[in-house]
Amino acid sequence: MSEDLKVRVTNLFREKSRGDKKMFYIRDVTKWLPNEDRHAVQNVVKELLEEEVLKYWSSGSSTYIMLAEFFPKE
Amino acid sequence: MANSDTPLLDELEKGKWPSFVKDMKQAAQKNPMARDLIRQLELSYKDKIGHWKHGGIVGVRGYGSGVIGRYSDRPDLFPNVQAFHTMRVNHPTGWFYKTDTLRKLCDIWDKHGSGLTNMHGSTGDAILLGTTTNHLQACFDDLSSAGFDLGGSGSALRTPSACVGPARCEWACIDSLDICYDITMTYQDQIHRPMFPYKFKIKVSACANDCVSSIARSDLSIIGTWKDDIQINPQEVLTYASRINIQKEVCDLCPTRCMEWNGRDLKIYNEDCTRCMHCINLMPKALRPGKEKGATILVGGKAPIVKGALLSWVIVPFMKLEPPYDELKSLIERIQDWWDENGKSRERLGELITRLGMRVFLKAVGLQAVPQMVKAPRTNPYVFFWPEDIKKEVK
Repeated sequence: MSEDLKVRVTNLFREKSRGDKKMFYIRDVTKWLPNEDRHAVQNVVKELLEEEVLKYWSSGSSTYIMLAEFFPKE
Repeated sequence: MANSDTPLLDELEKGKWPSFVKDMKQAAQKNPMARDLIRQLELSYKDKIGHWKHGGIVGVRGYGSGVIGRYSDRPDLFPNVQAFHTMRVNHPTGWFYKTDTLRKLCDIWDKHGSGLTNMHGSTGDAILLGTTTNHLQACFDDLSSAGFDLGGSGSALRTPSACVGPARCEWACIDSLDICYDITMTYQDQIHRPMFPYKFKIKVSACANDCVSSIARSDLSIIGTWKDDIQINPQEVLTYASRINIQKEVCDLCPTRCMEWNGRDLKIYNEDCTRCMHCINLMPKALRPGKEKGATILVGGKAPIVKGALLSWVIVPFMKLEPPYDELKSLIERIQDWWDENGKSRERLGELITRLGMRVFLKAVGLQAVPQMVKAPRTNPYVFFWPEDIKKEVK
């Protein structure tokens, strides 16, 4: 179940990142999957962050999540 | 004397008060980052615009907070501050350090960063100002070896903080240090891996003097209080009467006018007392908090960012707080879960309660409405009940 959800979350990130917008709030991610348990989605996102498929981006006050491949280079 | 290349900053060294410019110049003597920082700041003062680009990198391996990315927008002029990240280090509860620990912290920062610190930031953390991306992990590893951990930043539980409490203060009604430490250790995941709609702050004050300003600065304030009567020492009251005007300075300034003074005896109507501690602060030898101690829990305080500033709102007038603080933790989790479920991105708890209503919040977290929750009892005593509750009353 978790693996399936992980694939769906990753695919949704790819789909939503096709435009200019690459960074999303965790709230956006849970809204993409309204029928899934919010905690389950958050846990999957944490796993994807751990695996470095996703990356955090923070302004210091707000945190966004994005696909690692789009993380801005220094 | 040669002309200074920072004439605007030099102005801030004049006067008798301490100057951050003086400190930065001292650091600049041994660190090129601090040198470029001063020069960039001078340019900011001249241009009247900040020259930082905010955001980006957020942490070290396994962490999503604790590092705040900062980059210069003029790396051509100031190459040593091209990257100038801040590290937030979780402070020891109550800000008690041994000197050798402080030295260790400074040595680590001299090795990996600019040497400049902010002790402490408004969140409470020890703020280490300015390091490069390739030093982040090494600095974190050294901090870990010295017993430190990073604090919270971004949309996470921010590092909980507390007043010095029973360690140094006779008015402490709760062990603010232990509560803060316990909460910090319990919610490590929420601090290090941001998953909330926005920031969430918890602050603990051991009495109503509220030395950490929890009521104004935190989403969840825990403030020590007492349930029974203020303890009075009549002999000491008389001693104070020879030094201060008890009627004018104590009774007349009591916010609920719950005290009477006839020149010999002080009478306190405890049922009207709001535990503000004004009288205790003025006559500390004569009055003491009661013996049945605990805490008032409030929610919703915040500074003006995004929307206006809010003060916290009482939701639990009295909670006995003893380890392992299960009742408190259960409440915190119910509150955070409701906020996480319903809050918009970048919406603080207080704003969400204002948007959806206190009665919705109370129902969701399983609390009964009680009179102490009325936010402005003397100006606006209204509470909005659920229609079904009103029907029950009418019946």
